[in-house]
Amino acid sequence: MHIAEGFLPPAHAIAWGVASAPFVVHGVRSLTREVKEHPESTLLLGASGAFTFVLSALKIPSVTGSCSHPTGTGLGAILFRPPIMAVLGTITLLFQALLLAHGGLTTLGANVFSMAIIGPWAGYAVYKLLKRYEAPLMVAVFFGAFVADLSTYCVTSVQLALAFPDPGSGFLGALGKFGGIFAVTQIPLAVSEGLLTVLVMRLLVQSSKGELTRLGVLLQSKRQQPRTEKTATSEKPEAPEAPEKPEKSETGASA
Amino acid sequence: MLPIDAAAHSSRWRRRHPVDKAVLGLGLTVLAISLPPWPGAALVLAAALTLLLGPAGVGARKLWRAYRVPLGFCVTGALILLLQIGGPGGFVTLADGGPARAGGLLLRTSAASLGVLLFAFTTPMSDLLPRLVKAGVPAPVVDVALVTYRMSFMLLDSMSRIRQAQAARLGHTTRAATWRSLAGLGATAFVRAFDRASRLQAGLAGRGYDGTLRVLVPEVRISRSFVVASAALLTGLVALTLVLERFLP
Repeated sequence: MHIAEGFLPPAHAIAWGVASAPFVVHGVRSLTREVKEHPESTLLLGASGAFTFVLSALKIPSVTGSCSHPTGTGLGAILFRPPIMAVLGTITLLFQALLLAHGGLTTLGANVFSMAIIGPWAGYAVYKLLKRYEAPLMVAVFFGAFVADLSTYCVTSVQLALAFPDPGSGFLGALGKFGGIFAVTQIPLAVSEGLLTVLVMRLLVQSSKGELTRLGVLLQSKRQQPRTEKTATSEKPEAPEAPEKPEKSETGASA
Repeated sequence: MLPIDAAAHSSRWRRRHPVDKAVLGLGLTVLAISLPPWPGAALVLAAALTLLLGPAGVGARKLWRAYRVPLGFCVTGALILLLQIGGPGGFVTLADGGPARAGGLLLRTSAASLGVLLFAFTTPMSDLLPRLVKAGVPAPVVDVALVTYRMSFMLLDSMSRIRQAQAARLGHTTRAATWRSLAGLGATAFVRAFDRASRLQAGLAGRGYDGTLRVLVPEVRISRSFVVASAALLTGLVALTLVLERFLP
């Protein structure tokens, strides 16, 4: 759930922007370093950003029967790592604000903090923790996506409660109100996003082993599953290989 | 192409420099959140709506389709302000001054959203992104944003066609089938995005790609008269708000 344009008072909008800035700057430095070392990563990162943007446009059925959009932060963090997700998430949120009127420019800092920072970091932490304790890949993926989604909405509730404290019970009362509406109704949606992420990851493991190995996802699973034959040398994304049968390129028009 | 961006490409103000439109549109947004909601945000809302439907030439239907999205969130959020938790009246009661706070919030968000929409409906992303380098955004980030922007449309188009194909094969008839179709859609988006990236890389490598994506940006100058007129409008709105604040309840 994006906080709409103008919803936060100016002081809050600025404060959340300042809070997000170090994470985004760190992500920008990581991205710039990556692009300088591997110029071809620009295209891979752009593709990752487009994937994140498109993923957030999918409509998922909720357990309650309603329909919502996945945040995509969990899958993004597992595939591309939280620092990169801070930048890709910021770009995605900017596009959503200007192309879809979801979110806003004055609330960009607050939305970045919940969706591009806390969500990815919380989901990735849970994913890594479960992997460390040798949980199956899909269990770790489910809980990573679930926690990323739910933490995003919990942070949004905190942001709104801080901006609009309840006249009777202050911040806690407001947190109950906003949390009750946004976070609790979000639990079924977080379950839905976890399930969807598992299904997507299962298909990716079958169809895109090469990419997942380059991104480091299957390197971690290989430690758990010694039968996997493919080897991976690094967790860092490397230069994508040239296709075996290069097709006619459309780069001139699209780049 | 997404409707707002498509409208921006055919906007009357398409050839204006993004700075011109940023001063006006984002200036209105800043005023909307800085001035008191009544009468400040109400004046900003009226000014933004007049500019959008008048000089900027945005269609009313297109505007409503884009505007109803943030409006829905604002109404949901504003309704919560009507309630109070705890207090002598009971666990959940109507808050004192709740309608005024909710109304003020609605005015502020509505006006601020229109300011951003004025900018978005007149400025194509392809005009804005390359100029962000001059604004201090690192070039690699702008390059990634450019690739993301251009690839998003192709992916959205692919997703739409795949969804149609899935529906034609009864892929959305049951809940289980819907989940399978959605998972296929997400995975296909990933595969296509990475396939597209590797093909782009191969194509660019053949054209001497050195790590920077050069795009042609139409040469337009910042219009001093437009910026001055915008600043005058914004100043006038501030002055009018201060005057009306004394006379209105």
